[in-house]
Amino acid sequence: MGVVGWLILVVIVVAVAVVAFLAIRRRRRGGGVIATKDKR
Amino acid sequence: MSHLLVDAQQRRIDAVVVGRGKKAQLVDWAQLSGFGPDAVMVVDEGVLRPPADDRERAAAEGKLELVGKRALSEGGNELGELDDVTFDADSGVLEELLIGVRRVPAGSLLGSGSYAAILDQSQEPSP
Amino acid sequence: MRLLMTATQIRGLPVVTVRGGEDVAEVRDVIYSPGAGRLVGLTLNKRGFFAGRSRDVLSAEAIHAVGQHAVMVLDESSIVTPEDASDEVGHPATERNVLGDDVLTEGGSSLGKVADLVLLVGSSGEVVGYQIDKAGGGRGYIPLPAQLSVSGDALVVPNITEEFVQDDLVGLGASVDEFRARLGLS
Repeated sequence: MGVVGWLILVVIVVAVAVVAFLAIRRRRRGGGVIATKDKR
Repeated sequence: MSHLLVDAQQRRIDAVVVGRGKKAQLVDWAQLSGFGPDAVMVVDEGVLRPPADDRERAAAEGKLELVGKRALSEGGNELGELDDVTFDADSGVLEELLIGVRRVPAGSLLGSGSYAAILDQSQEPSP
Repeated sequence: MRLLMTATQIRGLPVVTVRGGEDVAEVRDVIYSPGAGRLVGLTLNKRGFFAGRSRDVLSAEAIHAVGQHAVMVLDESSIVTPEDASDEVGHPATERNVLGDDVLTEGGSSLGKVADLVLLVGSSGEVVGYQIDKAGGGRGYIPLPAQLSVSGDALVVPNITEEFVQDDLVGLGASVDEFRARLGLS
């Protein structure tokens, strides 16, 4: 591959890493709205 | 002089930070012989001392500086930025806080730290 | 100052100490009691872009105030380990996350899906109702007490809720009393 080819590969790898990091971070930190079990 | 270390509960200046970075040293307010717009006066260099605890180290790094601090009400609503602080040059007691165009008595200050200065509910914004 | 906020607006807010002026944590889960109609507690994340979950939790009683920009506590001791909190807050039933749940009437009509929870905050946290993505499209609001049960991925609500789907928060606030009267609750 030429230089351009390598550059594109690097960009793609970095982009994938960033997306993966953000996705993992969101799953670990993601919150919800939780209803307690009420005994009435 | 680079920063002021303020006791928010007592609403007065505890100490002045002189110098920057690793060379930063503190002078307790009581040890100052004079305070002016461009410099502070000390009796002799012996009153300069290194930061003694985490709070003083944070102050030396500028993290606790009131001027420029986010102003947050005790109800959890942002009021703006603390643009300026006035105080009595003799006693070091805080007098007024300037937030935007509003002058707020220093008595409204409940606490202050690296994230925000907390003002009591008299300063709550109206809905 | 009391204001209407949604649970997703509260999520992610910093938890700030009144005395220390420090952001000691941020909000992860919002835990509420549908029966009591109030906020019960919050689970937390650590502050910072790279930071993960925090073990510690915040019970509603320990909250000083909830505002638009921060959840206020008096000092760091308000935040406790799960062992020192009630079970509901220390070990929340994460499978009972209502976001995205179907909203079904007893009679079997689908009103839509839960998009958010609406709370009246200030120094206490009262749950006013739900924001839903309506079955026919668009956003709506239904008042609490809106449900008979939360089970699986569905909220089951009384039939008359269907008449009380509001277009906006103002309508929601105004409809709560009448709704409760119709249910024989006030």
